[in-house]
Amino acid sequence: MIDTVYALWAIAVMTVVTVLLRALPFLAAPWLKRSPLVLQLGRFLPLAIMTLLLLDTLRGSMAGNPAGAWQELVAIGVAIVLQGRTRQPLLSILVATALYVVFRNVPLFA
Amino acid sequence: MSVPPSASPARAPWQRLWSLSLPVAMGYLPLGAVFGFLLVQAGAAWWLGPLASLFVFAGAAQFMVVPMLAAGLPLLPIAVATLVINLRHIFYGLSLLHRLPSAWWARAYLVWALTDENYSVITALPARASTAEIVGVAALNHFWWILGTVIGALAGAQITTAWAGIDFALAALFAVLAIEQWRAARTMVPILVAGVAYAVALVVLPAQALVVSIALTVAAGLVLGRHQLAEQQQAADPS
Repeated sequence: MIDTVYALWAIAVMTVVTVLLRALPFLAAPWLKRSPLVLQLGRFLPLAIMTLLLLDTLRGSMAGNPAGAWQELVAIGVAIVLQGRTRQPLLSILVATALYVVFRNVPLFA
Repeated sequence: MSVPPSASPARAPWQRLWSLSLPVAMGYLPLGAVFGFLLVQAGAAWWLGPLASLFVFAGAAQFMVVPMLAAGLPLLPIAVATLVINLRHIFYGLSLLHRLPSAWWARAYLVWALTDENYSVITALPARASTAEIVGVAALNHFWWILGTVIGALAGAQITTAWAGIDFALAALFAVLAIEQWRAARTMVPILVAGVAYAVALVVLPAQALVVSIALTVAAGLVLGRHQLAEQQQAADPS
């Protein structure tokens, strides 16, 4: 059993830590906003972080998939090609996810 | 249908909101369900999971804390672990400083709800997106996360195993948003830097690869930015 009061304290502590981390740059904004370097970073980071989130999510998915990495690579390749050609995010995501779910659930691909 | 763009001012943002939030729902519902289920299995009251999802709203940290709570660890290690896992969120704010709406309540909520997925979706919205649209998509995603947790906490194991692979929608979402970021930026440099940083992080500290690689990428971005600024200054002032 997890004691409820203890769990409530843990949730409170985690909330404070998480919100403070997320708020830190905004609290420091009056100083940061004047820096051209921060502006430059603001242009550089989104694509870099999106790439990192993609890599990390793919790795997590591969780690939980006994069939190996090819299923993730094929499905993500389909998403990238579809998005590159059609520019329709929902279509690209739905087709790639459906393909991956088939890979994971049809015994033929296991 | 040939509606002139000016004739459908209300419709396009809502379509955009749905097309950005649906993939997140496909990830958040099953992942939230797994979290809700695991926390109940570990011996917590069913409503604690949804409460954590409402207040903490940080997927990786919530998963991490389940075994810690089950083991009855003190609050300090829980705080430190949360700090390490969510350290990356500092850098999300850095690149959103000029993008968040100016209304204080909208800023406060968006800062609170700044998960990996909400960061991605906010950067994907056009610069002219309204406050209601930005807050709307973040709150809708927050709602999926809580709903998933409720479903998992109440329905248990059978519902969490029926969804194998559907959370791949999040990987596909990140891929699609990376393509769109690349289309806007037209440079491979951030992708290459990220690839190298992740490879290094995998060698150095595989358990915290995301945190380490983001730190490395920010460091590289600072060095590159300084270099570029120096070049611009030189071009502007050739003497």
